[in-house]
Amino acid sequence: MSAPIMRMTRVEQLYISRNANGPGWNTVRAVDGVDLDVNEGETLAIVGESGSGKSTLAKLLLMLNRPTAGDVQFRGTSLVSLGASGRQAFRRQVQAVFQDPASSLNPRMTVERMLGYIVQRHELATPRETRAFLAGHLAAVGLTPPDHYLDRYPHQLSGGQQQRIAIARAMMLRPAIIIADEPLSSLDVSVQAQVLQLMRDLHRATNVGFVVISHDLGAMESIADRTAVMYRGRIVEIGRSIYERPFHPYTKLLLDARLSLDPRRGRIRSLSATQVRAEMPEPMSGGCRFRHRCPLAIEICATADPALRPVGQAGTFAACHRADEVGASPRPAGAAAVERTPRPVET
Amino acid sequence: MSASLLLDVNDLKVHLRLGHKVVKAIDGVDFQVRPGECVGIVGESGSGKSTMARAVTRLMPNVNIEELSGRLAFEGRDILGMADSELRALRRGRGFSMIFQDPLGYLNPTQRIGRQIQEALSRDAGRGSDKARVHTLLDEVGLPDAANLARRYPHELSGGMRQRVMIAIALASDPQLLFADEPTTALDATVQLQVLQTLYRLHKERNMAMAIITHDLGVVAELCDRVYVMRAGKVIESAETVTLFEQPQHDYSRRLIELSTRRLTRELQS
Repeated sequence: MSAPIMRMTRVEQLYISRNANGPGWNTVRAVDGVDLDVNEGETLAIVGESGSGKSTLAKLLLMLNRPTAGDVQFRGTSLVSLGASGRQAFRRQVQAVFQDPASSLNPRMTVERMLGYIVQRHELATPRETRAFLAGHLAAVGLTPPDHYLDRYPHQLSGGQQQRIAIARAMMLRPAIIIADEPLSSLDVSVQAQVLQLMRDLHRATNVGFVVISHDLGAMESIADRTAVMYRGRIVEIGRSIYERPFHPYTKLLLDARLSLDPRRGRIRSLSATQVRAEMPEPMSGGCRFRHRCPLAIEICATADPALRPVGQAGTFAACHRADEVGASPRPAGAAAVERTPRPVET
Repeated sequence: MSASLLLDVNDLKVHLRLGHKVVKAIDGVDFQVRPGECVGIVGESGSGKSTMARAVTRLMPNVNIEELSGRLAFEGRDILGMADSELRALRRGRGFSMIFQDPLGYLNPTQRIGRQIQEALSRDAGRGSDKARVHTLLDEVGLPDAANLARRYPHELSGGMRQRVMIAIALASDPQLLFADEPTTALDATVQLQVLQTLYRLHKERNMAMAIITHDLGVVAELCDRVYVMRAGKVIESAETVTLFEQPQHDYSRRLIELSTRRLTRELQS
């Protein structure tokens, strides 16, 4: 395996805000001690529920946030020590795509002006060649004929087209990695499939790496080389085969929460007899942070905070005292949907 | 008109004026709900599924409407021509209720939860004190510690709990039909599963019909008896859920189902 292109070591990010209901300050530990390597040309998915810290992690990788503690390195150089020229070089290498393309594109500029500015800023082409340069990049993300799109404003484009523009903008600089924060969640299913396909095509053509933040395990399963699962600021599991064989009970919980696409095998109908109660969020207090929701919690979970350790096949790590038991249990119920083979269509 | 239909919509048209253009948001839709059944309405954004729910429940803002026509009957009574007072009576007692994707947008941030539910209670006499009924509702939608929760404000609750409060408000009028517009889209997967389970349990326990509007075929497969597939203001296919998934008749339905199932596998990659 090649050397990691980005490396996070013991990274922490604290957010401090005024307490809304009284005196004092609130501290939120959005990222709480994360070690993570991103390899050259890999597609790394980061999944978790809202509030797990996955978007903060993206901001740290993009150097949009300065970590409270720990270090983020790009090709062996710490991001905090970068000077102005180093920062510009870094920005060329690491690009971003955000969730809502409409708000990440300037509504008052045509596509040509918006992207043309970046071309000039980074001297990617001479002013005379700019339009042809942009046309080539729009064609590469499937916007053809490109001239049709260059003169448009963002509001004249559909959500999928806007997201393609955002991807083209990131790709123009020939980056080593694109950090994409929920790039699919504002798109329709059919458009999601197209954008996923585009990401695969770009990866194959240019070996660009992706770090994709998402809450959609189904989509990530279809694209990720490796997947990291975050819970309350920590990576609780990371590996290549977490969908087939989860080692952390939280990963299993997420997989089990996927809805079945087979009406004959739906689980809600059969589970409906039991009353499912909403849970009050538990305060964090020593021990494993997942133990309040964990069906397998035992005494040690309340006292010792489990660290990531190797489990199963090489490259898989989980932070759970009982990881081996989880990994040995049968496949998650959600996998039933995967096994389903579509019946032949009779017309 | 068949007496066995709770809701009977015929040739519904909603045309909206946008600047100089007229958009046919709903263009001749037929739609039926029988008592106690669960119907799904699926489609991608812009297909008109939310507009239809709003037209049927008469929650359309009437500023930009170019045309609103068709036959809309709830228990045989015409909804479109109904006076506001009659409509209010239908919403307040044994009629229909609606829940939305974003509960925070529909809850009053300055009022305690209990009061907001109390406000929606039907006016039937002899069913205990308002307070007791509010607590029963909170308990019924799966919220813990009703007495304490009734005194909380919306911002103190998580997204899943807020959606449960919305459901409690919708159930306060004891409706025969619940319209749910993307009820779990804004929720995390684990919470989505819990809220859907709760909806399904209430649907069964109360024998309450549900119409669920969603872009997620998983929600349909898990909950619905029948499905309407919408595209560009039209219903392009309607069928029993099992039939739709196993023998979709329309290319578009087939494509939606294929995309949703294939995303779960790595097939697309090759």
